[in-house]
Amino acid sequence: MVGAGDAAIENAIALSAANQVTIINRGAEFNRAKDANEADILKAIDTGKIRCYYNCSISEARLTPQGPRLAELALKTAEGTAVIPVDRVIARLGATPPRAFVESCGVQFPSKDPNSVPAVSGVYESNVPGLYIVGALAGFPLIKQAMNQGYEVIETIEGRKIEPADAPLLRAKFAALPGFKGDVDDALASIKDRMPLLASLTALQLREFLLDSNVRVPKKGEAIFKRNDYSDSFYSLLGGGAQIEIDPDDSTKRIAIKPGEFFGEMSLISGRRRTHTVIADEACVLVESPRRTTLKLINSVAAVRRIIDETFLLRAIETQLAKGVAPADLKMLAGSATVHSYDANQVLFKEGDPGDGLYLIRSGSVMVSHTVGGREVVLAYVPAGQYIGEMALISDTPRTATVKAAVRTEAIRLDGAVFAKVMERYPQLARRVRKIHRSRIASNVEQSVEPERSGVISFLMKQGLGEATDVLLIDESLCVRCDQCEKACASTHGNLSRLDREAGPTYDNLHVPTSCRHCEHPHCMKDCPPDAIRRSPGGEVYISDACIGCGNCQRNCPYGVIQMGVESKKEPSLWRWMMFGGDEPGHGDSHEKGIKKAAKCDMCKNISGGPACVRACPTGAALRVSPEKFLKVSHGRWES
Amino acid sequence: METPAHVGFLRHHRYRYLKIGLILCALSLLLYAIHDPVDGPNGGTWLGYGLGSIGAGLILMLSWLGIRKRRYRGGLGQVKGWLSAHVYLGLALVIVGTLHTGFQFGWNVHTLAYVLMLVVITSGVYGIWAYAALPERITALRRGQTRDAMLAEMAELNRQSIAVAQALSSDIHRAIARSIGRVRIGGGVIAQLFGPAEPARQEFDDLNRTLNVRADTLMAGQRAESEAESTVMFIAGQIVKRAGRDEDEAAHIRQLLDILGRRKELVWRINQDIQLHGRMQIWLYLHVPLTLALLAALLTHVISVFLYW
Repeated sequence: MVGAGDAAIENAIALSAANQVTIINRGAEFNRAKDANEADILKAIDTGKIRCYYNCSISEARLTPQGPRLAELALKTAEGTAVIPVDRVIARLGATPPRAFVESCGVQFPSKDPNSVPAVSGVYESNVPGLYIVGALAGFPLIKQAMNQGYEVIETIEGRKIEPADAPLLRAKFAALPGFKGDVDDALASIKDRMPLLASLTALQLREFLLDSNVRVPKKGEAIFKRNDYSDSFYSLLGGGAQIEIDPDDSTKRIAIKPGEFFGEMSLISGRRRTHTVIADEACVLVESPRRTTLKLINSVAAVRRIIDETFLLRAIETQLAKGVAPADLKMLAGSATVHSYDANQVLFKEGDPGDGLYLIRSGSVMVSHTVGGREVVLAYVPAGQYIGEMALISDTPRTATVKAAVRTEAIRLDGAVFAKVMERYPQLARRVRKIHRSRIASNVEQSVEPERSGVISFLMKQGLGEATDVLLIDESLCVRCDQCEKACASTHGNLSRLDREAGPTYDNLHVPTSCRHCEHPHCMKDCPPDAIRRSPGGEVYISDACIGCGNCQRNCPYGVIQMGVESKKEPSLWRWMMFGGDEPGHGDSHEKGIKKAAKCDMCKNISGGPACVRACPTGAALRVSPEKFLKVSHGRWES
Repeated sequence: METPAHVGFLRHHRYRYLKIGLILCALSLLLYAIHDPVDGPNGGTWLGYGLGSIGAGLILMLSWLGIRKRRYRGGLGQVKGWLSAHVYLGLALVIVGTLHTGFQFGWNVHTLAYVLMLVVITSGVYGIWAYAALPERITALRRGQTRDAMLAEMAELNRQSIAVAQALSSDIHRAIARSIGRVRIGGGVIAQLFGPAEPARQEFDDLNRTLNVRADTLMAGQRAESEAESTVMFIAGQIVKRAGRDEDEAAHIRQLLDILGRRKELVWRINQDIQLHGRMQIWLYLHVPLTLALLAALLTHVISVFLYW
């Protein structure tokens, strides 16, 4: 197998089941591949299943009619030449465009970025007249795209006016637009005009973005999303208006969103619940884009990323911290802000450091701790959307605690001096910050007195619960090991339990079984070809029927909570089992045959009454908690 | 006051069913005390019929737990509430049932039903104790490992001990191999509940002692005295007096002793784990079949009462 990308690795591993496989890597690593593939190939090489030559190239391949194998490959390696007898050579060299060649044809690339693709017109014509570029080279990796584009190019060259393959789909989407007459190009141009965010997109990028999006025309007064919803789509306001309710207790306090603006970026970035309710105004016209499509756009168009980041910053500062601060002061605050990202366990600031900044947690979560008698005592857990570090700003003393990232975390750092200046001007802001400061001191003191809580929090964080939104915990002092939770899960989910009660770590009778935690930014969602993994408004991360059984999510989940299996269609009957035996509900394996698909906890979102595992627990040992309740759980109130 | 994150079945709903059970008992006792039928207290008076009907109703309701807990899609109330009611109303049934008999016992199906009821409740009382006392002990014993992980660790220790023994004499190797074959995990009901018989214990102790003596001898650079035990003599007699090799061998023996010690502790923990699980579940094998027998006896009791009235 020649190559070190995903295709080469996947082929090599599949073939190694029944063949002797050698993989030839031009480089020293497999870091071009997906994480899961990289781990798989390194494991296969470690265990000797696959042989690997690093840093080498092929100098010759020749048939060997008399040899032990059909042919042999001569390799140039760092240590000299090597010859390996082979039956077959498979080259998986990848789809990296031969940029030098393309440029030598006169085609211009918009930037030096190795990921950038040549700019092409709406009919795929490059800057060289008569030279058309389609498919992966133009940034469209799917075969169906290349086929459609190729057809369109031929028709264009032949002089026939052809409607792009996606035009009927776009027309159907645009039907909801007020005043839409059926001309897709007109509608695209008008959307681009109205949305500054999308102005920098090429015609093809815009088409692709809108193809995954939907046009919505909500009635006046209709809630587009509500505070605490778990939706994560992104909205662009094309026309009319919308209102953000900034105060959950007073629905009259609102901020207006004007046409051309966008909203919904907070949950998209933090992975948390919606922080505000947004209500449609008169003649509201929206484009709703799913999370994955928006993230793809953010990652591929630098201008879009910059605009969204800036807006996020401004809004995050205004809504979380500086409500009622004048726009000019807000701008000043935002101007002092920098975005930092931290790996798990990386320190934001240490006890004793000078207190010179305030941190708003943008995504991920952090742990606050301080050292008592040489031992680290965890004081608190702060999830995304909240801020930390205000103590030092108020009392003008060095940091009294260490803050470190519980999981991969992004934080916005606001300059302390600038913030203090703004606080001087707004007494109500200063009062609010002081109030939170006081309550934090009180809870820190309480926490230091109860060191066992600290142990529980650091235990929970070590289990990766810093990125969880809802997790199943078991109080082992009440758990009678009856496995009712597993049986209930299997019984309500096609005899395929998504939960392993016994596995998983335990601390002080608090057990974290192997079960989905519904992460803020689910690892399983990262690489799902049919985009089958979704988050419902209630926050449940679930797998839809679109699953093709590729197993990517299972490999990507760091917590091992996704299984591949076939659900049975029938639930065993309780009465039949009691009278005549056979399969007991919740006990039997699924006997179904067929393609194995991914199965994970969906928090029983389709069953009224909530998660079956918790409801089936006869002793009250099983409970589901969200991060906000971790402190409570750690309270030592394991009442039985 | 902060509400607790969760509450166990015994404290469910602020002891709602304990309170109901106590009221039921108090009322039954009160009525029994003031009720004075002409032919003495018995199941045939209005109070007797009343208590009997309540008792029979309770028995049916308590048995229904077996159905309700298997209805995983849900049903009336919470399973935890059902279990809480099961415990407290089941205990109250002792008073209700006993007063219903009017203390008239005999060698008949009526008394059989009563006795079965008491046995079922007694096994249930054991169950309450087991559910309250044993879970934490299992957790403490497990030290975060699953049983499979413990068994895998044991297999690994066995493998290591064989590997180390290979570097020593063939007799030690044989003794280790034999001791692996003699490890007892689990077993029949009695062995699970009270721990397996340990045929290997004597041998294990011997082996341990032999190895200890041998290691001491090697480190002291002395030959074993002729009075020493025969096995020890045998092993000690094969010493080749080369200082470096002696030290190597002593190190191997120490390593072996360490592995054997860890394995012994692990085997003990696994057997304890099996024992605790067994003790937590065994009573159900009495509780459930006897409940079915009780239901049959109760039905016979009710039919015969109405038939021969």
